[in-house]
Amino acid sequence: MKISYSQEEERFREEIREWLKENLPPEIIDQTLGGSTLDPELLIKWHKTMHKKGWIALEYPEDLGGAGFTETQKFLFEYEYSLLGAPRQKTKLMAVGMLMPLLLQFGTKEQQERFIPDMLAANTLWCQGFSEPNAGSDLASLKTKAVIDGDDFVVDGQKVWISMANYADWIFMLVRTDPDAKKQKGISFLLVDLKTPGITIRPIEALTDHEPFCEVFFDNVRVPKENLLGNINEGWNLAKALLEHERLNAFPIGEVVNALDKVRHNAKKTMYKGKPLIEDEVFRRKLAGLEVDCSSLLYTYFRVLSQLKVGSNPGPEASFLKVYGGELYQRVLDLNLEAIGPHAQSWYNLDEFDNDVHQGTMGWINARSLTTWGGSSEIQRTIIATQVLKLPRK
Amino acid sequence: MDFELTSENLMLKESAASFVKKDHSFERLRELKNDQWGYSKDVWQKMAELGWMGLTYPEEYGGLELDFSYVLVLQEEFGKGVLPEPWLSTVLLSGGLVLSGGTESQKEQILPEIVSGDLMMSLAYLEEDGLFEINHCSTAATKKEGDFSISGKKVFVMDGCSADKFIVTARTSGSLSDSGGITLFLVPKEADGMRVTPLKTIDGRNACILEFNDVTVPAESIIGEPDSGFQILSNSINKATAGVCAEMIGGMQACLDLTVEYISERMQFNKPIGSFQALQHKAADMFIQKELATSATYYAIASVVEGVEDQDMGLAVSVAKAKCSSSYMDITKTAIQLFGAIGFTSEADVGFFLKRALATKVLFGDVDYHLNRYSVLKGD
Repeated sequence: MKISYSQEEERFREEIREWLKENLPPEIIDQTLGGSTLDPELLIKWHKTMHKKGWIALEYPEDLGGAGFTETQKFLFEYEYSLLGAPRQKTKLMAVGMLMPLLLQFGTKEQQERFIPDMLAANTLWCQGFSEPNAGSDLASLKTKAVIDGDDFVVDGQKVWISMANYADWIFMLVRTDPDAKKQKGISFLLVDLKTPGITIRPIEALTDHEPFCEVFFDNVRVPKENLLGNINEGWNLAKALLEHERLNAFPIGEVVNALDKVRHNAKKTMYKGKPLIEDEVFRRKLAGLEVDCSSLLYTYFRVLSQLKVGSNPGPEASFLKVYGGELYQRVLDLNLEAIGPHAQSWYNLDEFDNDVHQGTMGWINARSLTTWGGSSEIQRTIIATQVLKLPRK
Repeated sequence: MDFELTSENLMLKESAASFVKKDHSFERLRELKNDQWGYSKDVWQKMAELGWMGLTYPEEYGGLELDFSYVLVLQEEFGKGVLPEPWLSTVLLSGGLVLSGGTESQKEQILPEIVSGDLMMSLAYLEEDGLFEINHCSTAATKKEGDFSISGKKVFVMDGCSADKFIVTARTSGSLSDSGGITLFLVPKEADGMRVTPLKTIDGRNACILEFNDVTVPAESIIGEPDSGFQILSNSINKATAGVCAEMIGGMQACLDLTVEYISERMQFNKPIGSFQALQHKAADMFIQKELATSATYYAIASVVEGVEDQDMGLAVSVAKAKCSSSYMDITKTAIQLFGAIGFTSEADVGFFLKRALATKVLFGDVDYHLNRYSVLKGD
């Protein structure tokens, strides 16, 4: 048992830190640490910089365009990366974390060659089309259908909560190809060019006043058969595999650490009864409670990684990392509101106003989404209960 | 970073698990409920035969000389069975104090006797009005012709009734809450002028109140240097606290397993109650709590193994103890709730975990104590 990093790991962290400090644009750090929605133009530019460095597909071998990192290196990278205020949304928009493993596992050689290089270079931007108005937590009840007609699928229906669809070039989506089969059985996985006629994209304004996601309508959209990923009617397996790949990308713990620093920073500036709020016994205890939880979560990542080193699979046991990370982040931002007192309701970032205050409020409201997207906390708890604890389903 | 247990660790784990299964049972806890000591001398002797009394002691004192990761393994298994034997008080804490601060002759005299299972020891450091503070010490030791005379009162001396020898903190200089000026004394239970008031703990173990009225001990009974006992005391309590955390995560695991088993079988409305989401989500939260507390404990234990600076060890231990105290309480309270009425009875085993959770929560500082200490060590 040891808690210190090996010399090799130390060198690796140092290399990452140094490069990021030199190359990460300050505007991005501001937006990320502020917890607000990132400007997509900036994000794409940043992605291209990272691509030149070779740090996009971290865990893949270099001949596939990856960085060739081990799981531990990948974690250390993500940790340092988020500590320095680099944006987590990169993989969301570019789909590297989600679509790439599926292309490698289920795609044909042609599909891999056609899509992966452009995806890595951010020449093609992807979005994810899973949810529908009536298929959220109950994803398998999705209704958007694809009917074979000659050499094409004809797609009709509607997807919703599609992050950054208004900036994307392509969408990977789940469609129903067999309406008569049992729920999960008749679903397929399609790759669709968003410029295809019949597609309408409508951005949705969120509580942040930004437009982080969209509705996407499909009206008689013709998609060539070669854009089917995996076998027909087996798309649900791909959706499940995607979740497996996501497990360790669960939540960037560095962002929780940053948020705690922000709370501390604000509580040193805010005065209460003639003293900085940080000196108030009650406040300190609340802060310490969150630090304890944050440390415990960080050590849990170390522990999961130790298990991976000896070859065991993280499995569904690791799914609580996302639930806990998201909820903890929300609790930290709740305390941050206490640290800015009456200013917590401030909205627009007027020049004469303190930027920390605006970020506190914006970050807090933006964090509401953390416990709903990608499987709500309630769904995750049901997964833990039934798949990890093996409690009876019915 | 590496939290993986070695194959040698796993061997001890296996033998500890089979010991807990064979030589211990919840039925035994029921039988010991009204016993004055609350544990069995036979079981203690068996543990000694297995070599566990000298787990981390050097071989020259008859120990196995293993590192602190073995404490994690052993205590985790003890925790699963809610074992009542005072291994922590005697071996880890008191013996640990002698080992880190004692003279060669103290070590030679005391450690082999602990190893053989013949000597029981206990630390007396808590006082009234001091809550959990280690440096709160009004019990005074004054020089008296080369000897020392101790007067004062110690409360809640864990495993104190069964102890043959105490390690007592007493002030030799400074004022009430100074860290400096505290000295550690070895005091035998038969010392003149000492009054023992026995206590029974919620989980069936023993404790006592110790009153000292001019108790005279020779200068050779000092552990470490006069006036500077605080450092070794605080270091040893940190290690013992990490050891308690290991016991607590074992208890959390066993309590969760027991609860999952019960709600998977208990039928209501023609279904196992574990199929209801209201209960499932509570069980999922128990699991999450257990996982986080386990990680925090592994980190604290690994800090001891690696021998980090006192401040870093203090931080790691406070994180672990704050997390374990709240998690073990939450998990066991929820478990009782999920068991329903039967959970409130002595018939059900689940209650043993709740009681031990409370007992360990207040051992070496509760949640708030460790949050405050974390804040101070962190420099906020």
